[in-house]
Amino acid sequence: MTRVRILLADDHTVMRSGLRLLLERQPQFQVVGEAADGREAVALCESANPDVAIMDIAMPNLNGIEAARQIVHRNPRIAVAILSMHSDESYVIRALKAGARAYLLKDSAEADLLAAVRALTEGKSFFSPAISKILVEDYMRQLEIRGAEDTYELLTTREREILQLLAEGRTNKDVANMLNLSLYTVETHRTHILQKLNLHSVPELILYAVRKGIIA
Amino acid sequence: MELEPTRDAAVVKRRAQPLEWGAQVVLLASFGGMLGLMLFAGMDSLRALRQIQSRNVQIRQTFLLRNRALEEIRSTLYQSGTFTRDYLLEPDMARAENYRGSLQAVHREMDAALGRYARSLDAGDRAPFEYLEARIADYWQLLDPIFHWDAKGKLARIGAFMHEELFPRRATTLEIADRIAAVNEQQLTNGDERLKGLFDRFRFRLGVMLAITLGIGALLALATTRHILRLARKADLRYHEVTLAQGKLKELSARLVDAQEQERRAISRELHDEVGQSLSALLMELGNLGAVAPGDAELRSHVESIRKLAEGSVNVVRNMALLLRPSMLDDLGLVPALQWQAREISKRTGMAVTVDAESVADDLPEDLRTCIYRVVQEALHNCARHAVARTVRIEVAQGSGRIQLSVADDGQGFDSAHVRGLGLLGMEERVTHLGGHFELHSEPGHGARLRIEIPLAGQPVEALA
Repeated sequence: MTRVRILLADDHTVMRSGLRLLLERQPQFQVVGEAADGREAVALCESANPDVAIMDIAMPNLNGIEAARQIVHRNPRIAVAILSMHSDESYVIRALKAGARAYLLKDSAEADLLAAVRALTEGKSFFSPAISKILVEDYMRQLEIRGAEDTYELLTTREREILQLLAEGRTNKDVANMLNLSLYTVETHRTHILQKLNLHSVPELILYAVRKGIIA
Repeated sequence: MELEPTRDAAVVKRRAQPLEWGAQVVLLASFGGMLGLMLFAGMDSLRALRQIQSRNVQIRQTFLLRNRALEEIRSTLYQSGTFTRDYLLEPDMARAENYRGSLQAVHREMDAALGRYARSLDAGDRAPFEYLEARIADYWQLLDPIFHWDAKGKLARIGAFMHEELFPRRATTLEIADRIAAVNEQQLTNGDERLKGLFDRFRFRLGVMLAITLGIGALLALATTRHILRLARKADLRYHEVTLAQGKLKELSARLVDAQEQERRAISRELHDEVGQSLSALLMELGNLGAVAPGDAELRSHVESIRKLAEGSVNVVRNMALLLRPSMLDDLGLVPALQWQAREISKRTGMAVTVDAESVADDLPEDLRTCIYRVVQEALHNCARHAVARTVRIEVAQGSGRIQLSVADDGQGFDSAHVRGLGLLGMEERVTHLGGHFELHSEPGHGARLRIEIPLAGQPVEALA
């Protein structure tokens, strides 16, 4: 069995060693490199060829979000997970826009990290339950305050199906294959979904799905 | 901090008071003195003119009086000749007596004229007149014997008497009267001369007075002008000083605000990145510890309680850091920070806060981001605390070299023309320091709307140096 190659990027040594310990207790995970800042992380992704990069946001030289953007841009195969102290949705959406596929809170790293890495290796997205909870709560409060209708009701069954797959991190092509549809049809559905939900990008769609509890 | 300007103003006021008093005295003395001199000169001139006029009138009157008296003397002299001749030629005694009466009346008239003339004379110039008087007395004496002549005697002597005695004597007397008239005229001329002298003296005095007045006036004007110029210079200097001090005060306050912001950022980062991260690492290690000894129930319960404590601390630290200065402001830009702030306020107060900021760049200059964020924070704080608003709308728009912010609420409003709190003052100070424009409009019952506009590329407007 090939082990999942993992890169750790955090400027705190204690944090890194704790994470390494946690991950390496699992035989299928292998930490192939540690970076103390964003620049180093980008360089190590070139040389150490990891499958998953776990990144803090607050790092010297280059922050985790920018590093994630560069890593995904250079090698889209690498799944980036953000592991941060920040629980605000603005960080989550920024991370997703930069190409990260998972967002974990440091306080719950110990509980969520293994599940997150597994989800990533299966090509899915992952969010700490604490993050999902915050996002869902905010969403509910906004609905309550604005008295807005639930736009989810506007979607057809097929659209809901596609929404879930897209939110889990599948590409249009994956979705087309899984549902036996043409790529063009999937793209049309996607456009309709975004229009109906008043969203502008797939990261927003992922956030929406998390808020609605469609994905974990 | 609040008291400083007030105390400074009091010092300036105290210094300025004696200065004003001095100026008052100088001005009063200057203009009072000059007006006094002018008044004196005017009064003196009037007095002198009146004197000259009355003197002139007096001289003319005296001349006329004497002239009339002399004329009378002359005419009575002629009349006396005529009456004498008529008396001598009249054979009828009774009619001759009539002529004698007329002659006596003429004599009395002449005496009266002589008396008038004598009264008009000063003691000094009586001599020619006394000579005339003596000659006239002689003349009348000459006539005395004819009244004793009988009718024949009269006719026999008339020719000789008239031509040898009366006419020469009368001519001499008339000549004397003419001389006196000449003297009288001379006196008139002399009087005119004296008047002219008086007038010259008066003119001289007036000239001197005017020269003195002008001189003093010029001196006073010079002194006053110098004093006023000095005062103006002092006022200018003081104004300059005050402006400078104000500028420094503004600069200082801006620096204080800046320093406070730096401090907050440093503490926030320290809390978040150091304390928070360490606590997170601690949590992680706790997990590892639990994994090392999975069977030990007592250890697990201890680990669990430590974890609870640490989790609580992480939350406290995170909240403290965010409240001091939200990390999004530096990590992600203005808009995420505003959105976070809006969500926080909504969560805490139940107000519906919306942020509309689509056109705003992530990489705004740091001072601009901070300024707008703090202004919005203060505005939301006011909305929550005072306005009892239900919805607040925050709009940020960037374009054509400037950034505009508007915060509008539907709260109870206030009278924006009269109410200005320290918080508002702080907002305004921040905005004007960046060369921006601050505007707040509210009416009781109609909510409040705050607008600011800040130039993007522009340097902050420096305080007047």
